[in-house]
Amino acid sequence: MGELEIDKHVQYILDVEKKRDFESLLMEHIRMNGAYWGLTTLYLLGKLEKVDQDAVVEWMMKCQHDCGGFGGSIGHDPHVLYTLSAVQVLVLFNKLDMLDAEKVSNYIASLQNEDGSFAGDIWGEIDTRFSYCAICCLALLHRLDKINVEKAVNYIVSCKNLDGGFGCTPGGESHAGQIFCCVGALAITGSLHYVDKDRLGWWLCERQVKSGGLNGRPEKLPDVCYSWWVLSSLIIIDRVHWIDKDKLTKFILNCQDRENGGISDRPDDAVDVFHTYFGVAGLSLLEYPEVKPIDPAYALPVDVVNRIFFGK
Amino acid sequence: MSGTMAEQSIPQGHELLVQLENIFESDPLIDEVGFVPPAQIVELNEKADGLDHVTTHFWSKDHKLAISMEVLKPLLQAAKDAFTVACREYKEFANLPVDEICLDSPASESFTENEVMKHSKALLLLSCDFRSAWNSRKLVASRRKSLSLYMEELLLSKLILSYAPKSEEAWSYRRWVIKMIDGTFPNMQDILKNESKLVEGIAEKLKMNYRAWYHRCWLVSYMTAQQVFDEFNQSRKWAELHVADNCCFHYRRRLMLRMLEDYLLQQTEACFLYSSDLSVMWNEELYWNELLIKRFIGREALWVHRRFLAQCWIKHFVSLSSDTPLDGFLDHELELIRTCMHVGGDDFGDNEVHADLASAYILWISPQVTTDRGAAFLAKLKKSGDVNILAKSCPGKKLLLEDLVGNQSLMPRPIFPSVKTPLLALIPSSPSLWVSIFPSLRTAAILLLPRRTSATAYLR
Repeated sequence: MGELEIDKHVQYILDVEKKRDFESLLMEHIRMNGAYWGLTTLYLLGKLEKVDQDAVVEWMMKCQHDCGGFGGSIGHDPHVLYTLSAVQVLVLFNKLDMLDAEKVSNYIASLQNEDGSFAGDIWGEIDTRFSYCAICCLALLHRLDKINVEKAVNYIVSCKNLDGGFGCTPGGESHAGQIFCCVGALAITGSLHYVDKDRLGWWLCERQVKSGGLNGRPEKLPDVCYSWWVLSSLIIIDRVHWIDKDKLTKFILNCQDRENGGISDRPDDAVDVFHTYFGVAGLSLLEYPEVKPIDPAYALPVDVVNRIFFGK
Repeated sequence: MSGTMAEQSIPQGHELLVQLENIFESDPLIDEVGFVPPAQIVELNEKADGLDHVTTHFWSKDHKLAISMEVLKPLLQAAKDAFTVACREYKEFANLPVDEICLDSPASESFTENEVMKHSKALLLLSCDFRSAWNSRKLVASRRKSLSLYMEELLLSKLILSYAPKSEEAWSYRRWVIKMIDGTFPNMQDILKNESKLVEGIAEKLKMNYRAWYHRCWLVSYMTAQQVFDEFNQSRKWAELHVADNCCFHYRRRLMLRMLEDYLLQQTEACFLYSSDLSVMWNEELYWNELLIKRFIGREALWVHRRFLAQCWIKHFVSLSSDTPLDGFLDHELELIRTCMHVGGDDFGDNEVHADLASAYILWISPQVTTDRGAAFLAKLKKSGDVNILAKSCPGKKLLLEDLVGNQSLMPRPIFPSVKTPLLALIPSSPSLWVSIFPSLRTAAILLLPRRTSATAYLR
């Protein structure tokens, strides 16, 4: 089995930030997410110090709006997806004190609906992904009391399907990404008893295909990003031993660009920051040596989460 | 694209933006866009006559538009800059919070509104998930509240979906527009019908498109009982032609659950429509699914669908109807599994997959079966002599099975020592199935499981 090309992946992430090509222009609106993916990868690989943290924070704070929410980039509208990424990055840097936590929490709380669901922003699209973002963000800010947690949990449970999985809204098709969000949110709120663990575990372990990789739903090709979504969910519900971990590790390692760094969705495809993060995070969950452990629910390094909740 | 060299030979971004926006202005019905190599634009322009627009970097005819890939970067940059300025000015008018900006030239509100609509359209065409640009259009549309504008907005979203069928923002925008139309304008039912058609067309071009099918599932809660029924009938043909598309089968499940829900809630319209027909319909779906399973070997989506059908059948219909007893149903399922495990040889491994899926199916439904019937069912399974094949043909679930039967030597598990919990939870009434597969576990299983007369009698 080939090794993880740590130095090359670190260099790849540091270089992506400097690129100014058409692709990077296209991705500008989700730059905040990109920052979270890239920086968490660097942390997991023990190389966060290679980044000018003050410069990143300065840029990030320019993305915050008066309402408390963050945009994907400077001048972009606020959304809970970018707000979570911003909070996560500040947590990574141990710089949460830069933030007016009260203001951010009020913004997030304002997005909760009467039925417990969350809108992503003022325009009202509802999705269990936004429930996860809201809950994870408030938990990191120690302000879960700002929302009606019971209703939030009930809404997520109402999106459960007969196969044990979860969708975007009630009746939506089960999808590994949505499952991570729902299971993660239920874990954070101490509500895992609502999950049908064996049924869901069964569905999730059926995501492993012959090559060892995981897909996100039936009949799909494997993709490195599901190493995160499926694996983290399986760990949270205590069923990770139902898949073949060695084969999965091999699959992820085969998706590396060994020359220029970065990880792709499948072997020999083009790499990107998104898949590089999910590949490294997947390896972290698989206890790959030299990669720091990551928490499956908060999607942050374990020592960072410990610092937040236990002051260690 | 490597920056300055490529940009020397092409006009400034601003000029390109003006050209593109002129094309849109002269033909608001453009319904398809493509990004093509520069040489192809030249070729198209040479060949065609009667072009709506002749430029070096664009080509447009019959409501189709081609843009040269060479100009994408400067065009996108220009669109973004123009949009940002227009949007800030407009927000000022709309009296909404804007970032610190000084407006030096006062403009009229409707002029700024047009600027926002024009530039955001160009921008979205090039960067379809640019959320703030969609938001600016929501702002304009929500202030104008005109049905014709809402309908135009659905067209814009459709145009973008024509080349970016997975664009999350384009789909989300449709839902926002539909929510605005709902309750205010009378034509919801027609819109729902068109939306369904749109999804089907887009799903045809890109298979297993989660975003597209999610949109269709989302529409179900707006449908009348009659529409749900019609959609169910109309989506059958498509599913039949796309047996690997789990999304379409999920859509049918969504429709069936809605019908079931209506029926259980005894809603008047629904009762009139389905009443006793619901169990007939369920039965027909089971029959149809079986035909497809036998025709298309090794299709996971078909087996996933069957799990759902069987699960609901056992839960809702077996007890309701005396002429469809559980034993008969289970016998039938066993017969189906048996057939599927003995399909003739092929070179692609499809049969192996087929047998694996069949085994997983029967294991999946067994916890649904109640105690007494379960024991009889398992006895039959054992008698049929297929148990060994069942165990052998489940390689994909080897680890799961090993864990469930607690074979610690095969799969060491330091963190999760509990065997009892998953075993009891998954197969509460069918311990003997596991014992049949792994005879060495007989003693352990008896110790672990609560004593049930029928089950223990079978074990002896």
